[in-house]
Amino acid sequence: MKEQLEAFQAAALDTIAQADTLSALEEARVKYLGRKGAITEILRGLGKVSAEERPAMGQLANVVKGAIGSALDDRKVELSATADAAREESEAVDLSLPGRRPQRGHIHMVNQVTEEIIDIFAGLGFQVAVGPDIETEFYNFDSLNTPADHPARDSHDTFFVKPGVVLRTHTSPVQMRVMEQVQPPVAVLAPGRVYRVDYDASHSPMFNQIEGLLVDEGVTFADLKGTLMHFVHHLFGKNTKVRFRPHFFPFTEPSAEMDISCTVCSGKGCRLCKNSGWLEALGCGMVHPEVFKHANYDYEKYSGFAFGLGIDRIAMLRHAVPSINHLYDNDLRFLEQF
Amino acid sequence: MRISLNWLRDYVDIDVSVEELAHQMTMLGLEIESVERLGDDIQNVLVGKILSIDAHPDADKIVVCQVDVAGEVPLQICCGAKNMKVGDKVPTAIVGATLPGDFKIGRRKMRGVESQGMMCAAQEIGLAEETDGLLILDEELPTGEDIKSVLGLDDIVLEIEVTPNRADWASMIGVARELSVLYGTELRVPEVSLVEQGEEIDSLCAVTVEDTALCPRYMGRVLTNVTVGPSPEWLCERLLAAGQRPINNIVDVTNFVLLETGQPLHAFDRDKLAENRIVVRTGKAGEAINTLDGETRKLSDDMLVIADGTIPQCVAGVMGGADSEVSEGTTTIFLESAFFAPASVRKTSRGLGLISESSQRFQRGADPEMAAYALDRAAELIQDLASAHVAQGVIDVYPTPLVPREVTLRYARTLRLLGVDVAPETQRDSLERLGFEIISHDDTEMKVRVPLRRHDVSMEADLIEEIARLYNFDNIPVSLPKVRPCEKVFAPDEKRIRAFRHFLVGLGLAELYNWSFSNPDEVQRAALPESYRKMIVLENPLSEKQATMRSSIIPALIGNAARNLNYGVTSIRAFELGPVYRPAEGDTLSTQHNRVSLVLAGDVEAAHWSRPARAADFYDLKGQVEAILAHFGATATFKESDGDTFQQGQRAEIKLGKKVIGTMGRVASAVGRAFDTDQPVYVAELDLDALLAQQPSPAQFQSVPTFPPSARDLAVVVDASVPSGELREKAAQSGGKLLRSVEIFDIFEGEQVGAGKKSVALNLVFQSDERTLTEKDTQKAFDKVLKRLKHEYQAELR
Ligand SMILES: [Zn+2]
Repeated sequence: MKEQLEAFQAAALDTIAQADTLSALEEARVKYLGRKGAITEILRGLGKVSAEERPAMGQLANVVKGAIGSALDDRKVELSATADAAREESEAVDLSLPGRRPQRGHIHMVNQVTEEIIDIFAGLGFQVAVGPDIETEFYNFDSLNTPADHPARDSHDTFFVKPGVVLRTHTSPVQMRVMEQVQPPVAVLAPGRVYRVDYDASHSPMFNQIEGLLVDEGVTFADLKGTLMHFVHHLFGKNTKVRFRPHFFPFTEPSAEMDISCTVCSGKGCRLCKNSGWLEALGCGMVHPEVFKHANYDYEKYSGFAFGLGIDRIAMLRHAVPSINHLYDNDLRFLEQF
Repeated sequence: MRISLNWLRDYVDIDVSVEELAHQMTMLGLEIESVERLGDDIQNVLVGKILSIDAHPDADKIVVCQVDVAGEVPLQICCGAKNMKVGDKVPTAIVGATLPGDFKIGRRKMRGVESQGMMCAAQEIGLAEETDGLLILDEELPTGEDIKSVLGLDDIVLEIEVTPNRADWASMIGVARELSVLYGTELRVPEVSLVEQGEEIDSLCAVTVEDTALCPRYMGRVLTNVTVGPSPEWLCERLLAAGQRPINNIVDVTNFVLLETGQPLHAFDRDKLAENRIVVRTGKAGEAINTLDGETRKLSDDMLVIADGTIPQCVAGVMGGADSEVSEGTTTIFLESAFFAPASVRKTSRGLGLISESSQRFQRGADPEMAAYALDRAAELIQDLASAHVAQGVIDVYPTPLVPREVTLRYARTLRLLGVDVAPETQRDSLERLGFEIISHDDTEMKVRVPLRRHDVSMEADLIEEIARLYNFDNIPVSLPKVRPCEKVFAPDEKRIRAFRHFLVGLGLAELYNWSFSNPDEVQRAALPESYRKMIVLENPLSEKQATMRSSIIPALIGNAARNLNYGVTSIRAFELGPVYRPAEGDTLSTQHNRVSLVLAGDVEAAHWSRPARAADFYDLKGQVEAILAHFGATATFKESDGDTFQQGQRAEIKLGKKVIGTMGRVASAVGRAFDTDQPVYVAELDLDALLAQQPSPAQFQSVPTFPPSARDLAVVVDASVPSGELREKAAQSGGKLLRSVEIFDIFEGEQVGAGKKSVALNLVFQSDERTLTEKDTQKAFDKVLKRLKHEYQAELR
């Protein structure tokens, strides 16, 4: 019986080694180790073996069975690996071919910048407010200390809808619309479309502004400077220099314009900044007492600052867009660049 | 306003570089628009003296001159000009010189004769006047001197923008005053020395001011024996630097004094004034005036005019009349210096559409005190430059002198507004230096008298601004405020609109941004319903194309698609989130609504090496709309619509319950052509406000299935007219609770199913929460569905 087992093992191992496909190997498994396979046949002869030899033979039979089994496993691993390799080779992709890319959407540049600005101020505690595009002269001018005969009204080339009703020339009327609703503290940011009768390479009759307003006890010009510097450093980077210079707006006193160091030449002087090294970024100031009067705010108790900036201009500076008209051309070859 | 540094130095010492000066002026609030170096493009042009003029041996039109430029030997220069004589001094460009236009002068031969430079005409060295021949210089000028210094071409001109509140800055003295305050140095206002002689003014001219409200102060002088002629070099130089063209000595003096003092003046030819009278009155109905610019202008009864005994001779503070203009033959002039009410000048200037140096200053507010000085200053200059006699006496109608405002400033308020503690002495000193008179002061406050030139200062905050300006905004510290929350939320939908925008962009759409204006005919070209044609009309549009405020974004998007297709863009998938406008009844304001509009055209799927491109169709658009509705948790229905905007059979209105909240479809070919495209364009527009009003409650948990689903396909043949979506609905309703989903996976029409028929293939998914389904379970449900479809649509199993 021992010889029989050894011969059996040799034959089995030989067959396994010869099997060159997974199905041939499976056949071999069935043939040698299957329920109806050769090993079963041999083990059936175990009964005829003497009682003394039986344990040794049984043990040997198990060893043979184990050896064949592990040979089968090993060969299976080998053959699987070969089969996988062959399949993988046949399925190899051409890495140089482009993938199926989902189409990318694009937020309009004006809104990208608007959202970013809102987020910077939201981080300081400002909330968004909105007002209508079609405004009364009261909100657009009079309530902002710009009565009918005020020379500042000339500089706003205003679209009229009917007497007393205009397309708002700035987002500043939202200041008053907000202030008439609540007493301080108020901290709002009002983005929106604004309109002026002006159309050339650097002017669009419709453009976008963001108005900011903070009113509370003890708000100072120093706070105005700090807030706007914080904004500039977040939007244009820490190294951007900022300066405030006196200016005039009817609804702030003192009034200032804020310049930032030129985004092209960093202050050395170039064509964009007309060699001054500075770019005008926004207008700002401390809310005028007359405006508080219209809002029914107590100027003795409260103070506030306001600012207004042109979103289009900021967007153009950031993305080096040469003409504002690109922004409203709706040419997808332009829009999809951003 | 152009500020010549050479001129400015007449009034104040400037010891800093131009760059520093520009910075200092900027920080005072004088915005610098540009810095122009006048002589930058002129090099090596000297004063040359012509020693001899000889004929050229070979050319009739050229002469050969010897010109002394104080070098070792005179230069030989060939020249084609004829207006010079021996002994004349002329600008001489030597070899190596540069002239404006980057014109370089070299040694050259003219018809065989060497020429070592060029003698220049005025325009060749950048002077404004156009002349024939050489510029003949003053014979007193030193030979060999650089032409730039003798002609003032070494000047630097700062172009400043004067803010509308600071009329007092629109003058050389005004700017110089501000700098003298900054530097703490003296302001030199030229002293006036005129000699009154001859007749009394009253015998030469009578002045009546009828409207003292519009003309609070009216002053005048008369000058006789006037010789009108060209102005001297120095005066021309000043005016040219300021950007004005010299005309004659009288006009030039009035312009010069206006620039110097900011006080507009006007000179009348007294002999042209009927009855030798000046009447300051408002215009009369039917009156007109020929203004100096050659126009005839109708006057109205709210316009102030300066009339003579019969007709208006000048629009007060705006522009003089041609009839009494000073001309070569003028011998007696009436010189006016007045203070007109700013609002009146502004109104008249706007009414006539006429803006002048004079009107700009008056409407911002002139200085009634400067009127007197400017009058005498101009009279003196005319006396000197036109050898005129200043008649005795001055007319000064000033019945109610303007009273300077008095303003109180509490020192503590400066700290409260600026956030910096400026010592009371410093505050007082700043205002005093600026010309504010301290009437009184104690430990807490001061009271000041505001100079009449400062129309912009009327309250405490104005004074604080003055203190801040001199303190320098740069020196004010920086702090971050503690922002306290507000009790009200002003734009509750803002975040949702932003999330929605990002959602649309996530769908692969590009955001468009059209003007709010629209061309009124666009609504018609887009064949939008009548209700869209009620639009807000602008009184003063940019052009007819922007005459209305849009009532829909659809026309703009069709136009955008057409233009992009025509540019060669192959795939258009875009949206706009924005307002539309409707006139409101009664109310003074309009209504404004938010819309979201989509446009698809060209390929929705670009060509890829693995598959061909796929053109957009109705179902791409519907899918986007469905995605939008799902985003807002809205369940809407699509109903076939009518109208001519969209192609029949591919148009729908979108309804939320009974309310139509949108419209969509394939743009009709005729509409597409009206917008210049013949390619399919798909557009949808939804009422964003209605969508935002959908506030779905948070989704509630449903158990996650533990037993496997079982799927069956069901293909039925029905009439082609049966709406497949409706059939799907019916199937979904009829399968009992085991039927979890029904999706259409194929629609087929063709011979195999017969004419007028179609096959609709459904994928049915069954599932139970309690057990794994058996074949029998699913068959039972399947049969129920089939039975229902047979009943409803005479469907046949395929
Ligand atoms: Zn630059």
